[in-house]
Amino acid sequence: MQKYATRMGDGFRVELTEDEIKQDIEEGTNDASEKGKIEPLSKDAQNRLLEIFKCPDKSVGVERGSEVILSYDSGTTKFKRANVSVSKIQSLQIYERLIGADTLELAHIDYSFKPVKPIVVFEQPILEQALLMTIPPLFYGAMPNLGLYSQPDGPCENPADLLPKGKISEARESYEKQIEYAVKDMVYVGGQMYEAGADGINFDTTGAAGDAEFLAALKAVEILREKYPAMCIQMGMAGEFVLGMHGELYYDDTRLAGLYTHGQLELAQKAGVTIFGPTVNIVTGKSLPWNITRAVTFTKACTDIATIPIHACMGMGVGGVPLTLSPPVDALTRASKAMVEITRLDGL
Amino acid sequence: MDREKLFKDAQDIIIKCDNDRVEEVAKLALSEGIEPLEMINEGFRVGITKMGDLFERGEVFLPELIQSAEVMKKATDILMESLPKGIDTKRGTVVIGTVQGDIHDIGKILVVTMLQANSFEVFDLGHDVETEMFIEKAKETNADIIGTSSLLTTTMKYQKELEDELKKSGLKGKFKTIVGGAPVTQRWADRIGADAYAENASTAVREVQSLMGS
Ligand code: B12
Repeated sequence: MQKYATRMGDGFRVELTEDEIKQDIEEGTNDASEKGKIEPLSKDAQNRLLEIFKCPDKSVGVERGSEVILSYDSGTTKFKRANVSVSKIQSLQIYERLIGADTLELAHIDYSFKPVKPIVVFEQPILEQALLMTIPPLFYGAMPNLGLYSQPDGPCENPADLLPKGKISEARESYEKQIEYAVKDMVYVGGQMYEAGADGINFDTTGAAGDAEFLAALKAVEILREKYPAMCIQMGMAGEFVLGMHGELYYDDTRLAGLYTHGQLELAQKAGVTIFGPTVNIVTGKSLPWNITRAVTFTKACTDIATIPIHACMGMGVGGVPLTLSPPVDALTRASKAMVEITRLDGL
Repeated sequence: MDREKLFKDAQDIIIKCDNDRVEEVAKLALSEGIEPLEMINEGFRVGITKMGDLFERGEVFLPELIQSAEVMKKATDILMESLPKGIDTKRGTVVIGTVQGDIHDIGKILVVTMLQANSFEVFDLGHDVETEMFIEKAKETNADIIGTSSLLTTTMKYQKELEDELKKSGLKGKFKTIVGGAPVTQRWADRIGADAYAENASTAVREVQSLMGS
């Protein structure tokens, strides 16, 4: 029987028959449907995905006219991380002129709002110069990263120490205090960079520390939106599901713990986010047909209800892309094509 | 009193994190002549396993899981106290941590919580733990198992380093190893020679149990 080359979620190459791919597609969409309590993909969409996985080409692309915006997070840190010696502005120019990025993002190498606070005055002139030298919309981005507000990195007691000791109310109090500090930093940095000319602010990997971090970001967005009505605010999430590290936090009567992509989007929209990036984690032990279908199902639940643009987060270990050091092109292009053609999203 | 009813009560107590009733039900079981270990295995432990599954499905959250684990601990303490002194009631000793260069520890905390709730003694070394530290702690505590968590493809190599170091120092059979973390797979575990792999905290408990049995 004919077999088709694909991969597992950790990038390992495998070959599957058409029936095996079909089955993984069905199981992937059903997994998302059960977990997120959302609609599974239609049979038509599942067949479309099957075609994408059966295509013998190494890399695949979307039809002419279906191209979407390519936005990049953490822009100026990535070349540095690969040991390429370029300045921030040169990085942005490479993104613009060589990579074909539709939006750019200036970022500090220590990519969280807190460490940017003391150096914001050094970031502002770089932003001003970058604006004069590049054309696409230029974001300033960082992670809310609530972990930096607890010991040993910050003033609050560390919930990771308190929780295993059963000190739940103390851990919750610590999270609540951390939210206050984090909101202040995000509003300060976001406001300062916007006033220096940034077209937008990106809250990257939101919710990495769980529900308290998501709440902090939503509150910061609300304040910034009120203060700067025209500001573009992008929010990329940390995962498909908000971890309930506190468990009892609400935003406008909605419990944050346990919210899946579409629930996250609804609150982000309400708070004043203008571009939302749903993130779906990879399961390394499952195949790409399973993972990509699952990611597409969760993302489609967002595009079906969104009133703002959706830019799915795609990269190592998220959005159906395998968790490897550098994403294999066959997998990355298949995940991208599937996302664009089935969810009708606005950007990646 | 119906045994099955007591087992069911025990499960409910764990699932509802019912700290007020745990003592009463544990003592009632003893006075009814139920074996402590049976009451734990058929009653309370079924509850904590269910909590683990509910947690994985996002239906309960970390504080609830931890509260249940606390209630579980109280139940086990009461039941175990009734056994004659000198009987070792812990099911095994596990040294665990997130490997060097890696600060992701949320998943590892869950694994620690579930292992503790299942009567394993756990020494949690935290995150960014050097390979040498795992081995030192395992020696010091005479551990049965070393568990390592790695969330980054760039730090997985330290799980291999642990295997290599254990082999080099002739300790490979003495301490069994279990690996976990999002990028880690059974294939990786096989490749580096780790004794077990688990995808999440509930399966981690199962795997650790079977390592103890083997
Ligand atoms: C939270 C998070 C963070 C937090 C960590 C906070 C903390 N205290 O843990 C912060 C913001 C600090 C962070 C930092 C970074 N992160 Co991070 N992070 C994540 C995120 C969003 C979630 C991880 C998580 O907690 N999952 C939830 C828990 C419950 O699941 P889990 O960890 O998998 O654990 C389960 C199982 O794996 C298993 N398990 C886990 N450990 C063990 C151990 C044993 C023995 C066993 C048996 C089982 C087991 O059981 C657990 C329970 O079910 C992931 C993306 C994602 N959505 O997965 C990225 C991710 C892991 N991070 C990533 C990266 C790159 C980083 C940074 C380098 C980014 C940066 N530029 O700063 C730094 C690295 C810092 C460092 N040196 O470690 C990448 C890794 C990519 C790769 N190729 O490796 C990911 C995949 C995101 C991405 N695509 O970019 N991160």
